[in-house]
Amino acid sequence: MTDREVKPPVTLSGYQVTLRDVARDDLEMIRNWRNDPETRQHMLSQETISPEQQSAWFDRLQSDPCQRQWLILYRDKPIGVASIKSVDEGVPLDAASRVEPGLYIADLAYRGNILAFAPTLLMNDYCFGQLGASELQATVKEDNEAALRYNRKLGYREVEHQSGLVRIALGPEDYEVSSAPIKAFLSRPVRR
Amino acid sequence: MSSNQQVLVDGFATALAIPAEQVTDTLAYNSIPQWDSIAHMTLVAELESRFDVMMDTDDIIDMSSVAKAREILGKYGVTFD
Repeated sequence: MTDREVKPPVTLSGYQVTLRDVARDDLEMIRNWRNDPETRQHMLSQETISPEQQSAWFDRLQSDPCQRQWLILYRDKPIGVASIKSVDEGVPLDAASRVEPGLYIADLAYRGNILAFAPTLLMNDYCFGQLGASELQATVKEDNEAALRYNRKLGYREVEHQSGLVRIALGPEDYEVSSAPIKAFLSRPVRR
Repeated sequence: MSSNQQVLVDGFATALAIPAEQVTDTLAYNSIPQWDSIAHMTLVAELESRFDVMMDTDDIIDMSSVAKAREILGKYGVTFD
């Protein structure tokens, strides 16, 4: 893939949610979510995003083989954003051994809900199962106990503490064992 | 308080590790730090065990407060008279 080619879309569905590629029409909604102080406080960057920055980010995203950004849909309603990017700079996702997933649930109705695990399960399954990644990594603020608890539940282990940040990592075996009970809750029959 | 209401209160108190007095109808997720996405899962397992039911995923996701939990459990034949 050259830098100018637009990536083919990837849609993931399961565990009651759908992840579809972020579209231009989603940008203002996502920018408002991202700039919300409640969401921003947990981000590594505290900078607010302008419409121009958001548009430029989207333009780069279209042809960037090293990352993917999805809108999370539950019952056809957008509730947040999920992302993956290659840890090693310049390595396309389909060749990456280390991938960094990201997630925020913007809809407060689902933040303390088991549903918050669903997009992560889809992404992790995709990274380990489809992309063939050998490790997932994330960096979390040391004081973000909720995110650390969430990731520990998925099998992540703490690798390094530095400057108020914690680097955590997850391999496919730990993920498989740790995610099984969560998947069981989110894979039961639905009423509809 | 009906016996099932007491079981419900005890189930919430155990799963969320909070005093029983804190378990009121208006208690909802995100209203206290103890009720997060992980505790939500623990709570469902606790209530399913205590009432011997197995909820659909939709009901698990919709169980957003104590009052809602009682309403959902009612669909599975649990009475709170």
